[in-house]
Amino acid sequence: MLTYALRRILGMIPTLVLISVVCFTVIQLQPGSFIDQYLDDPRVTKETVASITRQLGLDQPLWVQYLTWIRGIVTEGDFGYSFVNGRPVSSLIWERLGWTVFLALLTLVVSWVIAVPLGIYTAINRYGPSATIMNFLGYISLATPDFLVALLLIALVLNAGGTNVGGLFSPDFIDAPWSWARVRDLLGHLWIPMIAIGLEGVAGLMRQMRASMLDVINQDYIRTARSKGVTPQRVLWRHAVRNAINPLISLAGMSLPSLISGTIIASIVLNLPTIGPFLYDSLLNKDQYVAMTLLLFSALLLLIGNLLADLALAWADPRIRYE
Amino acid sequence: MLKRSTLALLSLALLGGALAAPKKVSGYNALGIVNGKTGGSYTLTLGDSPQSLFYYGVIDNNLGLISQQMFDGLVEFNLATYKIEPALAESWTISPDGRTYTFKLRQGVKWSDGQAFDADDVVFTYKNIIMNPEARAGDVGNFRLDGKNVEIAKVDASTVRFTLPRAAPAFLLQQRYFIMPRHKLLKFSQEGGAKAADINGAWPTNVNETEVVGTGPFKLATYTAGQKVTLTRNPNYWKVDAAGKKLPYLDRLEFLVIRDPQAQVAQFLAGNLDQLNITGAQFPDLKQKEVAGAPFKVMRSTALFGSPPFVAYNFDAKDPALAKVFSDVRFRRAMQGAVNRERIIETVYNGLASLPGHGVAPANKAFYTNTTKQLGSFNLSAVNEALDAIGLSRKNAAGIRLLPNGRPLEFDLTYGTDSSVYPPIATILQSDFAKVGVKVNLKGILSSRLLSTGQSGDWEMILHAFGDQPDPELRRPIWQPGGSLYYWHRSTQPAKDGDPAIVSRMAKWERDIYNIFNDAATTTSASQRKALYTRWQLIFAQNLPVTPIAKPENIGAISNKYGNYVYNLGVIPGYNPVPLIFQK
Repeated sequence: MLTYALRRILGMIPTLVLISVVCFTVIQLQPGSFIDQYLDDPRVTKETVASITRQLGLDQPLWVQYLTWIRGIVTEGDFGYSFVNGRPVSSLIWERLGWTVFLALLTLVVSWVIAVPLGIYTAINRYGPSATIMNFLGYISLATPDFLVALLLIALVLNAGGTNVGGLFSPDFIDAPWSWARVRDLLGHLWIPMIAIGLEGVAGLMRQMRASMLDVINQDYIRTARSKGVTPQRVLWRHAVRNAINPLISLAGMSLPSLISGTIIASIVLNLPTIGPFLYDSLLNKDQYVAMTLLLFSALLLLIGNLLADLALAWADPRIRYE
Repeated sequence: MLKRSTLALLSLALLGGALAAPKKVSGYNALGIVNGKTGGSYTLTLGDSPQSLFYYGVIDNNLGLISQQMFDGLVEFNLATYKIEPALAESWTISPDGRTYTFKLRQGVKWSDGQAFDADDVVFTYKNIIMNPEARAGDVGNFRLDGKNVEIAKVDASTVRFTLPRAAPAFLLQQRYFIMPRHKLLKFSQEGGAKAADINGAWPTNVNETEVVGTGPFKLATYTAGQKVTLTRNPNYWKVDAAGKKLPYLDRLEFLVIRDPQAQVAQFLAGNLDQLNITGAQFPDLKQKEVAGAPFKVMRSTALFGSPPFVAYNFDAKDPALAKVFSDVRFRRAMQGAVNRERIIETVYNGLASLPGHGVAPANKAFYTNTTKQLGSFNLSAVNEALDAIGLSRKNAAGIRLLPNGRPLEFDLTYGTDSSVYPPIATILQSDFAKVGVKVNLKGILSSRLLSTGQSGDWEMILHAFGDQPDPELRRPIWQPGGSLYYWHRSTQPAKDGDPAIVSRMAKWERDIYNIFNDAATTTSASQRKALYTRWQLIFAQNLPVTPIAKPENIGAISNKYGNYVYNLGVIPGYNPVPLIFQK
């Protein structure tokens, strides 16, 4: 198992190098340049534009820019410099990582806690009216984009005379020290992004769980267990659910990169201080080292997520062995 | 003994000088300004986190908005008349030849950390920052006239002198640059031994708040990335109200970072924002709520600053047949009749715009010349006749006019897709142009790319906007043929900034405008300058280097909790009514 994991981790390195080359190329193919915004200002002369280009190293050939960036990462753990903010990329990402991870994990947990039981329920009571209603709602929430749900919720809150319309805190609590009042304020705001971002995930997971359960409950070993007189409760939880949950573990692994890019539009609409809008801006401004670092980070998360999912599968399913 | 008392007397005299220093802000009764009371906080919005806290390090509107509350310049605008008034400079003299400007600085002004402000700060700011070609948001170009540098020198602790290579009447108006503290920034400057480009790295967003020191009404308190910037009252601010009470009235100014315009409106309606500038498209909804009794007011004001959209045709278009047609003034004048300004003002701006001037806003009393007649009227049959008359009468089976070389008169209109006004204006133009046999293909790009696309020359017709300013001299790179932003006729631009424009490639009327701007830049007589710019506006209106479309109004929404609200477009150095706002 350990050698397997090590092998996988070593295999990530060439993959990441390849991904970084692709990201760099794609960003360079995008029209325009970071310098464009300076042209918009009558204050800026051609000489100033030239000196900024030189300051940022944008006058160097592309391969030199790329190699300098990679060398920085390998030798000093330096992910480059944000043109826009004039600060190292890594410190900027750290600043925004906290709330991003918090929101992503919370959404993940909440959507699992809701979706898995619903999926099981709708699979077992396949033809019941309540399952049909749930399935119908599931389809609708799958089909509705998260930012639209966010906008609808905001409109709803506004019409009800509420003030929690976006952000994670009321203005007074944004930079206040932690207190019970601040936690209460956070909870008052948190439910909107939870619903908006989580709804789609819930619906998808629920469908997946349901399909997977339906597969499993027709298997021979379930019938055997039943005929041997095992209690229905035990058949369900011990045999069926445990086997049906495997595909969801792979899904969970793949959902890690959504930390960065999954909720860009919802984050903008709901004004959440996450990394998504930061990536969006860096792409628009051609702030190349920020964009590349985030894309690379996202790829790394996907690789790690897959690895973790595989390891979890091996742990959950005795039939899987990696030796 | 005697010595000590002289010392005491001397320091008393100094103290007296310090107390006499504040500027009294009065005479704004016409704007509805009353004496307010101290206290309270006021919440505004930023479209994104500021990229730095050093104004001259990045070109960033959000940083501009907070810098405006933390720093001052030597001079500022009168809020009602836009005339130049004393700010950090208490008075100034201009030599008769218009080449020497001597500024007497206000006595007793202190930085927000208590250090004294003096001539060293001013000289430092100009020499190391504004005139530093490596500073990303400096303005070195304005300090080189005819290839020679403007000299700045300290005369004594409270006097600064600029010596210009030639007379430049707009020079005073430009000296609204924010002055920065030498004692905090010396270590990032050339004077302090750093490299010229190091100044850009001063005050990054994770700087300690106490490092950011200014003379403005407010000072930095906290910065929470991606969420909020809080400013608190600067106790050392140098303005008092008409009753002699210290300004600003407000204790705190908060800026919430909200990126989405819809989310900004929602936060305003929820009462989390106290003031918001909105567009004509958002006006009806908010006005309706106001009439229905919501606790805010929506105010319209005619705009002096701001960007009126225009369309331009590329005189140097890649297709020579098109370039020839576009360079023909008869074509541009004819097509103006197909620009339905009334409809655009009605439907795109909800009526909250008016007819534009030619390079000067109609609200600009000092310079505007009424050219409304030259805008013509929307009349498609007249356009058809005029186009026939210039030899574009042949049409193909689809009804599109044919160029002399037999190809159809068809071209791209480049516009910004991420704007509430450009796409509908582009569609209206396209549909009306089609009715006179001119086929327009819409080509949408990001608004932030409009200027670089314009300057690249890779376009045929473009929909874009440039700002109006109180003095045309401040927009000379845009409107003077051969200027660095005169991109619809790029072949007149010199290869290098600062070199003379290529006059031989200009049409007769362009040469006239070129000369007018050169003359007006050095004429010291105000009436002569006005006469010159009047002639420019008339030539502009006749020859249409670009075709202006509309002048949008300014619209702001303000909570009823506040008094003394004066509309504030955004980052206009030297125009800051916020110190007068008070919480009722």
